[in-house]
Amino acid sequence: MNATFTLLEMRRITRDWAGMFFTAVLPAFFYLIFGATVDAKDASIGNGNVAMYVMISMAAYGAVTATTSIGGNAAVERQQGWGRQLGLTPLADSSYIAMKALIAMTVAAVPILLTFTLGAITGARGSMRAWALSAVLCLVGSAVFAVYGLLVGTAFRSEAAVGAASGTMVIFAFLGNLFIPLSGTLLAFAKFTPLYGYAALARYPLTEGYLPDGSQDPLWLPIVNVLAWLAIFGTAAVLLVRRGRERQ
Amino acid sequence: MTTSPISVAGASGASAVELRGLVKTFAPARRSHDTEVRAVDGIDLRIEAGEIVAFLGPNGAGKTTTLDMVLGLTEPTSGTAEVFGRRPREAVIGGHVSAVLQTGGLLRDLTVRETVRMVASTYAVTTPVDEVIERAGLAALADRRVSKCSGGEQQRLRFALALLPDPRLLVLDEPTAGMDVTARRDFWDTMRADAGTGRTVVFATHYLEEADAFADRIVLVAGGRIVADGTTAEIRARASGRTVSATMPAGSVATSVARLRGVDGVRDVEERGSRVVVTATDSDAVARLLLLELGGTDLEIVTAGLEQAFMTLTGDDRPVPPGTAHTGGTHRTESELVR
Repeated sequence: MNATFTLLEMRRITRDWAGMFFTAVLPAFFYLIFGATVDAKDASIGNGNVAMYVMISMAAYGAVTATTSIGGNAAVERQQGWGRQLGLTPLADSSYIAMKALIAMTVAAVPILLTFTLGAITGARGSMRAWALSAVLCLVGSAVFAVYGLLVGTAFRSEAAVGAASGTMVIFAFLGNLFIPLSGTLLAFAKFTPLYGYAALARYPLTEGYLPDGSQDPLWLPIVNVLAWLAIFGTAAVLLVRRGRERQ
Repeated sequence: MTTSPISVAGASGASAVELRGLVKTFAPARRSHDTEVRAVDGIDLRIEAGEIVAFLGPNGAGKTTTLDMVLGLTEPTSGTAEVFGRRPREAVIGGHVSAVLQTGGLLRDLTVRETVRMVASTYAVTTPVDEVIERAGLAALADRRVSKCSGGEQQRLRFALALLPDPRLLVLDEPTAGMDVTARRDFWDTMRADAGTGRTVVFATHYLEEADAFADRIVLVAGGRIVADGTTAEIRARASGRTVSATMPAGSVATSVARLRGVDGVRDVEERGSRVVVTATDSDAVARLLLLELGGTDLEIVTAGLEQAFMTLTGDDRPVPPGTAHTGGTHRTESELVR
């Protein structure tokens, strides 16, 4: 691990004002609109209230936006020749990946901290265990989407594609039951989409699997969803990286 | 302060670069009926410490692929590459070799100094960041974003990065590709200022002028093989020769061709309608003959292009070696050579 390298990478991210807005500010803003100011905010859900439910959802949305864009930009950068430049230095691939992972986790922590802080101020209520576990699950689970970003960046080799991948998170977030409570057929379908498992898992310490429509997901459902999407993204990324290497 | 590279090589007993039977093939593009591409087709080469060597050849000759294997960026299909007696990746990790690669490969949102600091941080020991920036002529631009730097300035930044480990071997892959004339001259002036330190330098180029001005030794590469290897003076002598052409009076083309074939130093005479095209070492004698005795008009003298030099050196009539075909390349190469 290399402090100078990591700090300079962090400085690059703080320079990207538009990126920081979508990553940190937008989820917090969404929380204020959909969570802190709705009539039902104090209605109880599981070990807490609706405001907390929305808070965790928005924190998760912000975290995956961050990791998707960091994973994707790392892939694009490397293919645009920075990988060759780093290949001329003693830096090992494993150290590079470790540093990028640390950066992705640090940046993903920003919307989580911001949204959770706003939540604490504006009336999100839950058990201490739910607060702590949800934050950790938001953070750890967002790593899956760093792999998704890596996949898109490797496949399309452009910053625009990575921007679009971050943007698709909005769609996945709707389908993942993050923005508005889904029900019926749409909900049944939603359970197969990539953000559903991650968000459901992050909210599990609060909801214990109960959904706004009163139904309950068993714990294995979000876990299987997360692992399945991790396997899909991971396998596709490995295949693409290998194909890219052959073509060089 | 600087140890003589000759004595360093003597101490370790190894050449700066040693390539043995180096081959690199690439799989053909998907859904194509091409056979595999042999980018590098059996290269044996030894470069001693302190030499300044130009890899000269047209686009697609295999220069970049060969240098990639010297730098450990690509694994050879067969054969070996050694740098100071080590595997290339080990030489990179030890800071013995560094390189300026072709365009691309910088982070646009960092400043010049930040880029140097970032790369410096990957080494255990480096030349101080400010010293490297100074030597690459970047002091005035140190706080400028990379995205705001011109192509030539970005290339100087890559050069600064390459200086960080104070490498004994510096590899430059087409370092001035895409630069205008002024930027090219500035870049080589910076390089020349640094060359006094006795570093081994290997650079790829398709500008004969650059090879001529900067290298002690030229290795001519075509079709993934070395087609000639010698001192700059030797290669120049062998590659010299000019093409003289003129329009002949009606009906005299055949007799003129016969006369020209008999002149000493004439390698080739060709008829193109009413014009004759003569390749010769003594272009003055041919010109005199054409104008004064044979009644030729519209005389043109052109320095032999790189491709013609290849033909001369390989005794091969193929216009372009396999795998190096590029449309319009002949014209461009010629204009580069006469510049």
